[in-house]
Amino acid sequence: MNQQELIDKLTEIKDKLTDIQQPLDDRIFLLCEVENAYAVNKFLFEDVPLRFVIATGIDAEHCFEVLYHYAYDQLGFVITLKAFIHDRENPVIESIAPFLPAAEWIEREIHDLLGIDFKNHPDMRRLILSDDWPEGVYPLRKKMAGEIAKQWPCETSVCPTTESPARRTVQLSKPILAVGPFHPLQEEMEFFQLSVDGEIVTDIDMRISYNHRGIEGISETLQFDQVPFLVSRVCGICSASHPLAYVQAVEDMAGVTPPERALYVRVIINEFERIHSHLLWVGLAGHFIGYDTVFMWAWKYREPVLDLLEEITGNRNNYGNVKVGGCREDIPDETVPKILQEIDKLEKKIEMLTKAVLDDPIIHARLKGVGVLSKEDAIKYAVAGPTARGSGIDIDVRRDDTYAAYADLDWKVITQPEGDVFAKAVVRLLEVLEAVKIIRQAVKKLPKGPIAVEVKEIPPGEGCGRAEAPRGETFHYVRSDGGNRPVRHKIRAPSYVNVPSFRASCIGEHISDVTITLAAVDPCYSCTERLAIVDGRGSILHGYEELHRLSCEKTAQLKKEIGPPEWKLEDS
Amino acid sequence: MSWKMWSLKKSPWVFHVNAGACNNCDIEIVNLLTPKFDVERFGIKLVGSPRHADALLVTGVGTRQAVVRLREVYRQIPKPCVVFCIGACACGTGIFEGGYHVAGPIDKIIKEVDPNAIIAYVPGCPPKPEAMISGVVKALSAI
Repeated sequence: MNQQELIDKLTEIKDKLTDIQQPLDDRIFLLCEVENAYAVNKFLFEDVPLRFVIATGIDAEHCFEVLYHYAYDQLGFVITLKAFIHDRENPVIESIAPFLPAAEWIEREIHDLLGIDFKNHPDMRRLILSDDWPEGVYPLRKKMAGEIAKQWPCETSVCPTTESPARRTVQLSKPILAVGPFHPLQEEMEFFQLSVDGEIVTDIDMRISYNHRGIEGISETLQFDQVPFLVSRVCGICSASHPLAYVQAVEDMAGVTPPERALYVRVIINEFERIHSHLLWVGLAGHFIGYDTVFMWAWKYREPVLDLLEEITGNRNNYGNVKVGGCREDIPDETVPKILQEIDKLEKKIEMLTKAVLDDPIIHARLKGVGVLSKEDAIKYAVAGPTARGSGIDIDVRRDDTYAAYADLDWKVITQPEGDVFAKAVVRLLEVLEAVKIIRQAVKKLPKGPIAVEVKEIPPGEGCGRAEAPRGETFHYVRSDGGNRPVRHKIRAPSYVNVPSFRASCIGEHISDVTITLAAVDPCYSCTERLAIVDGRGSILHGYEELHRLSCEKTAQLKKEIGPPEWKLEDS
Repeated sequence: MSWKMWSLKKSPWVFHVNAGACNNCDIEIVNLLTPKFDVERFGIKLVGSPRHADALLVTGVGTRQAVVRLREVYRQIPKPCVVFCIGACACGTGIFEGGYHVAGPIDKIIKEVDPNAIIAYVPGCPPKPEAMISGVVKALSAI
């Protein structure tokens, strides 16, 4: 479908819309009233078809708005459906989760933060706010701020909202395996409840909120220029992609084009981030299946990358280098030879590591066919990044909606059709090598000139920015009313759509495969802004350590069956 | 010095709690165990249960949902113990100050449980692994 055909297709549903706007070539806004939202959403997702990205709830002055953002990846379009809810006293909209599971979490989140009711939602429990949060207080409503301060402190130790009545009756009849929230091997809190039948997982439920810091709320109190520092702390590992996506949204709105050198600097920093994030994942994945050698190696090779980042930006993580209109710090010319030299060394080591990991018969036996996320499920859950590419969905924002200097560089998108954990490992490892290639070209081509243009004012308007973080597409929606702060800033991190896909990939798996399946999407709970706790109900069969032990035992058993490898690894 | 304090200073085992952090400090803590820093050389070890730990490494702002669980973890850890607030958020909620879901900083939460808790601060966003090692050394030589 080309651009004209897409627009023709969208006009098919014109009678249900009140307006179609196209502020930029690749950004389309469709406006409709609340009662038509369900039908239009169904049309967009099933008939066009578009990929669901996220929804945003906004407290506009006289009404509520719910924005459904979709992406058309073949052309790099972002298509946003705006539904207006005029009834402020009793805001209700029809849920789209019954046909689009990817929207389940975000509808629960909008309900928590803005108090909009979603009719026919399958599972409307509290998602993002704490258990002791008072009912009827909605933090993102504009006039609620004072009320929230009054309500604190209040504290209960029961978790009345962790389980819905419907789900609970199912769970009580079967043993529940609780994982989390503080467990020794993962850095973050998360809480999963697995219903099990013998060794087989039959259902999975997640409780998050532990890491919810209310960044979207804080962002509305900061100036446009301060927000990049905040959003780089959405997630420490994606601390280059989040500010980049935000800055691109604002640049779209203000019509600013940064100088070329800044675009190259952005590419270099983002690709270094991808290398260190993927190496981190490979290490942790090795650890989860009982291969601590892989863990130590991968993290050892990650260190020089962090050192380079420190030299370029001044910090190992949280670079704070990108700003509206360009970059804050330049890459000095004398650093360039050092970068080239270091990435040459790095490439050799990573090739060795890739070979070691991907040719190992035990890793094959352990990861192939495990935790399969089929292509259909991947579309339904609208997953992003390596999780999608590992399931054969060929999407990558760097190519589809190209930004920074990616269009000038020669690289390719890695995809694997199988959808299992091994496919995701292949995608990540090969992407590291692609990233090395990108950095080498970008450093050699680095144009001369300034690294920033001056930006005076941000005009009223709205912008959508996207960037490919190591875990997938990061999406930022920013709205300005012409003042010096954003009036609404919505952040969608890739894990937000990847984590719910556990329901498709974990069910039917053995317990000993669950840890690696959960780890396979490289979940980042600070990105997702939430985490989890045991509520004490249900019988707890294993702690996390037990689970990890099971996973390691399975690897050891396979090792015995397969025998030692014929070749030896050498550390170059 | 009591024998309890004396034994606390030798080979401190640590338990790591993320109370609503951006994952950065947490990754740097794991980094301490990997070949470049390798704190296990000094007998410092990450353990899986607070009941086995001598010290608590807390990162993050302390969100409303996490504080209840953080207090519970603190109650479970054998005393005396040292609480390390790792990073700007744990020391004083950092950039997230004033957020509606923020209940921190960490020292306030811990002191509600135990007013005499030994608390050490390692600022930085994130603190470098070297800074964390130096923080542990300073805290242990102060007690």
